[in-house]
Amino acid sequence: MANNRFLAKFMGLVAVGALALTACGGDPAGGEGTEEGQATSGDLTTVGFVAVGPEGAWRQANEANIQETFTEDAGFELKYAPAANLDQKSQIDAFTSFVDEGVDVILLSATEGSGWEDSLTRAQEAEIPVILIDRGIEPDNTDLYVTRIAPDNIEVSSAVANWAIEEFPEGANYFVLEGPAGVSVVNERNEGWDAVIGEAEGFNKLGAQTANWSTEEAKSVFETVLKSNNNDVQMVFAQNDEMGLGAVQAVEEAGLVPGEDVKIATIDGTKNALQALADGKLSFVAEYNPLFGETALDVVNKTLAGESVDSYIIVPSLTFDSPEAAEEALPDRKF
Amino acid sequence: MSDNGTGPAGFLKEVVRRQYFWGVVAIVLLLLVNLTKDPSYLSIGWNDANGALVGNLVDILRAAAPIMMISIGMCLVIATSGIDLSVGSVMVIAGAVSMQFLAAAPNTFAGAMAALGLALLVSAVVGLVNGILVSVVGLQPFISTLIMMLAGRGIAKVITGGQNTSAVNDSFRWIANGYLFGLPVVFLLALAIVVLVGLLVRRSALGLMIEAIGMDPQAARLAGVNRRGLLLAVYSISGLLSGVAGVFATASVMTVDISRTGYQLEMDAILAVVIGGTSLAGGKFNLTGATVGALLIATLDKTVVFLGVSSSATPAFKAVVIVVLCLIQSDRVRQLLRSRRTTGSRPSRKEAVAA
Amino acid sequence: MSQSPIVEMKDISISFPGVKALDGVDFRLFPGEVHTLMGENGAGKSTLIKALTGVYRIDEGVISVDGDVVQFQGTADAQEAGVSTVYQEVNLCSNLSIGENVMLGHEVRGRFGVNWKATHEAATKTLRKLGLGHLDPRASLASISLAMQQLVAISRAMVTQARVLILDEPTSSLDSNEVEQLFSVMRQLRDEGVAILFVSHFLEQVYAISDRLTVLRNGQFVGEYATGELDQASLIGKMIGKEITALRSLDSQSAARGHRQDAETVYLARGLGRKGSIEPFDIELKRGEVVGLAGLLGSGRTELARLIYGADRPDSGDVEIHGHKVAVHTPAAGLRRRIAFSSENRRDEGIIRDLTVRENLVLGVQAKRGWARPLPRKQVDEIVDKYMVELGVRPSDPNRAMRNLSGGNQQKALLGRWLATKPDILILDEPTRGIDVGAKAEIQEQVLQLAAEGVAVIFISSELEEVVRLSDRIIVLKDHRMIAEVTNGPEVSAETIVKIIADHSTEQNAPVARAHKTKEVAL
Repeated sequence: MANNRFLAKFMGLVAVGALALTACGGDPAGGEGTEEGQATSGDLTTVGFVAVGPEGAWRQANEANIQETFTEDAGFELKYAPAANLDQKSQIDAFTSFVDEGVDVILLSATEGSGWEDSLTRAQEAEIPVILIDRGIEPDNTDLYVTRIAPDNIEVSSAVANWAIEEFPEGANYFVLEGPAGVSVVNERNEGWDAVIGEAEGFNKLGAQTANWSTEEAKSVFETVLKSNNNDVQMVFAQNDEMGLGAVQAVEEAGLVPGEDVKIATIDGTKNALQALADGKLSFVAEYNPLFGETALDVVNKTLAGESVDSYIIVPSLTFDSPEAAEEALPDRKF
Repeated sequence: MSDNGTGPAGFLKEVVRRQYFWGVVAIVLLLLVNLTKDPSYLSIGWNDANGALVGNLVDILRAAAPIMMISIGMCLVIATSGIDLSVGSVMVIAGAVSMQFLAAAPNTFAGAMAALGLALLVSAVVGLVNGILVSVVGLQPFISTLIMMLAGRGIAKVITGGQNTSAVNDSFRWIANGYLFGLPVVFLLALAIVVLVGLLVRRSALGLMIEAIGMDPQAARLAGVNRRGLLLAVYSISGLLSGVAGVFATASVMTVDISRTGYQLEMDAILAVVIGGTSLAGGKFNLTGATVGALLIATLDKTVVFLGVSSSATPAFKAVVIVVLCLIQSDRVRQLLRSRRTTGSRPSRKEAVAA
Repeated sequence: MSQSPIVEMKDISISFPGVKALDGVDFRLFPGEVHTLMGENGAGKSTLIKALTGVYRIDEGVISVDGDVVQFQGTADAQEAGVSTVYQEVNLCSNLSIGENVMLGHEVRGRFGVNWKATHEAATKTLRKLGLGHLDPRASLASISLAMQQLVAISRAMVTQARVLILDEPTSSLDSNEVEQLFSVMRQLRDEGVAILFVSHFLEQVYAISDRLTVLRNGQFVGEYATGELDQASLIGKMIGKEITALRSLDSQSAARGHRQDAETVYLARGLGRKGSIEPFDIELKRGEVVGLAGLLGSGRTELARLIYGADRPDSGDVEIHGHKVAVHTPAAGLRRRIAFSSENRRDEGIIRDLTVRENLVLGVQAKRGWARPLPRKQVDEIVDKYMVELGVRPSDPNRAMRNLSGGNQQKALLGRWLATKPDILILDEPTRGIDVGAKAEIQEQVLQLAAEGVAVIFISSELEEVVRLSDRIIVLKDHRMIAEVTNGPEVSAETIVKIIADHSTEQNAPVARAHKTKEVAL
């Protein structure tokens, strides 16, 4: 029995330790703001950020940018709550506790699109404005949140499709590497791509498969896709950079040349991807601009001042279609 | 162990009685399904560029390597009537250590070896901590390794500073992507390690003692078996093997993905062990069976992609295959089938002269 | 006994692959009698019971209950027909209350599900009927002794309105008071007309309670006798199929052995003890002597043995082995010091059921060597061959799982495990409990043989006669304390020991004065 008490204590310690680790691990800026901020929170605007956490370089840049923008100097106390292993449940928990705490504004990057109605309604009842960062919700009920700030996935994926049509005037066999099923980003990127490519002639979709945004899984998936189609694949649409880089490795393993035999297009525009584009391994990178902290800051201020904002604010993004363009952009790349 | 089958018929009977026989059958069935989709599925070609065999089977072997590693570690732990839920998290720790180290180290063979050694050392230490929690502190294996499973990803995040670190090192990359005699190095390594662990366990008395403490810890203790030492060893081995799996997984793309590497692989490992005929209650264990189980899971993963089963249905497809397999293995179901066939007047339970 | 039998089994045969477990056995059970089934382990007693209760299907023969031919499909069927079984290991739910266990499946139902009040009252009524009125039906089953649990199991059988009650070795873990209580319940039920089928290895008990006996041997029917018409020696003769001279010759052997006062001291403990387990004691063991530990169940016999082996960690005292001061705090340490300990709890602390006989045999030696130094196969074979033959373990195939052996053979194999470690000190805790007469004699002979070879043996048994017959010295324990040491001789008998225990007043709190007590008793 003595063991049980020890166990409880021990578990508590470990849990605290793990949380601490998660917190500082996910916050490369060094955990500024949260603790020290408490003392002076009277003057500061409290912002709860229900975030995704480690997922890839894009997310890293996005969340770091938000954290760097909402500083104490700017008059904010930012509470950063990354999800545990991309788990929606942990996000809902964090969201609820922000509502209970009575923060001034909540920023939400949902790991999954659906299942947010109850939480958002609670926030509404508590009169806490919610601003969606990047990820949308499903069903998209604009009454439940103030605005969604994101680069337009549909626009970005349409850009990839337009490039593909230009690159393959005769059409091509292509394969889509998707993110996890059910995420709004995935649905939107599919939507934009399908709408444009569906109009074009000669494009044959060999299939679509999730690789969970992961390089390792993308490599494994695409390796099999190449086999099952006897290497007769001309194009890959990877919905993020990491998966695109995995596809590159699979192509190389199969003895083919990426960029010649198989052209790979990705979305995000991280440094690694631009480097690969510069090296000729990727063929097209559509930026999905993560650096919109300033826009978010502006929206938060307007909302708190009672001004109205559009229900969807699109962040402008660039595209890179050649090694030269990539070389040019690389030195200034922040993510 | 004891072969009392006589002649080819007896041998066949013996094989069918092995639990993992159904795992082999399932693999064959899956391959046949793939074959009906594409008659050239099983064909194996030769790639002159890197001197390697090319084919779906080769891919399966490569994909099976990390699962084999965590499965045989898990198998030993389960035999002691414990469980190791931290295998996936140890994988990501090993991956994080090696990538973080290689990102700063020169692209040399020595650098690769140093990264490998460091990653394996850290993994074994994490395993040892599990062992200490279980045998010295006396926590439930489920709880101890659950703690480590949760803490593990946190540790990996600290190691890489929260990033998915990539690195370049050709020797390290070769571990997962290279070929030797036309076969993937990673599979040969995995196979060699399985054989090595098998020899270690069966040629020494380790296997007997693991089974003894798994079946009856009290009796084993009174027989003089050093339970504490054994548990420390077994959990350390499991940690070490998970580390190897982590190296395999990250070396394949030279990137550690903090939230995905090894994610939920403890389930795959447990399934592989169960498919292989080792009871979750501990006791008798079967490393060959666990290896067959790992191969089956890899085949299943690859089949799902090959058939283009919709990505959201993947877990369901996997679940169906595994449930069917476990049903076939269950004694009760088998008995039901048997009694259907022969409604004779045999005694309902075949116990020997226990009376 | 002129009425017709309630159960009649005629010409029953059951075969298992390779073995004929029952071969044309007849058995009759009348209302209002206690009928004991006798036979060695493996004679077919359990098989016969399982045939009757429908656990096994019979290949040939007829079973009738009340004159109607029946074929039960399982124990539930049998219970429906009024045949209830209480097994050796009580199969009750220890996390339920006493009342719930008694009434399980027969709860009193009211309009809103189970009426617990009425259920517990009904339970109390049943318990009172069996003289168990003092038990609180709401107390947890785990809170009462094993003996009481056994009686609760019988109460449960009564609730199901059993007309036939099968008691398979109910007394093997009870002390004499508890046995007496069980017997009074049995007599009461018998007088109410219940037919009781009883199985026990204790001859005294068999003679005390049963009206008739049926003897089986090797799956065959030997005969049915009225208890009064068959003396014990003839009964044993019928069970093992020969006149038993072996057991009798043991007596003379013991007397002829004499003492070995001059033998070398192997083991010496001073003030060895453990709080809450056993008071500090002194003990000295000499080469080649058998030291018996006598005392009632729970007197501290087992605790003392466990301290010597290191199965429990002592918290006081010093130990010298061969004159060197050593610490023995774990079983592994005990083994290294050439001590071997065979636990009284054969099932949970002795054999490992799912390992083969071979693996069970070598486990001790292997544990002593450590996992990294496996025994060469040849040596394993030698050990296995040697002890299988020497101890007469049957069946002689070492690759069978241990669980398939009978209790006596398990015990022999277990003894083999310890002998293979070549011990200087061998502690045997209840090595003869629950095993048949033949195996018992073999184990007793083995003990004397080992002593003659120079092993110091500590022999623990609830059967005082056995202790007296085998030991050179007898240490008497009571209430977790060593109270006396008796040097064996012609004038010492079981009664001597009983008298020491009975006369010892528990108020004596002083540590054991060994020399003083020895003198007092030896004369």
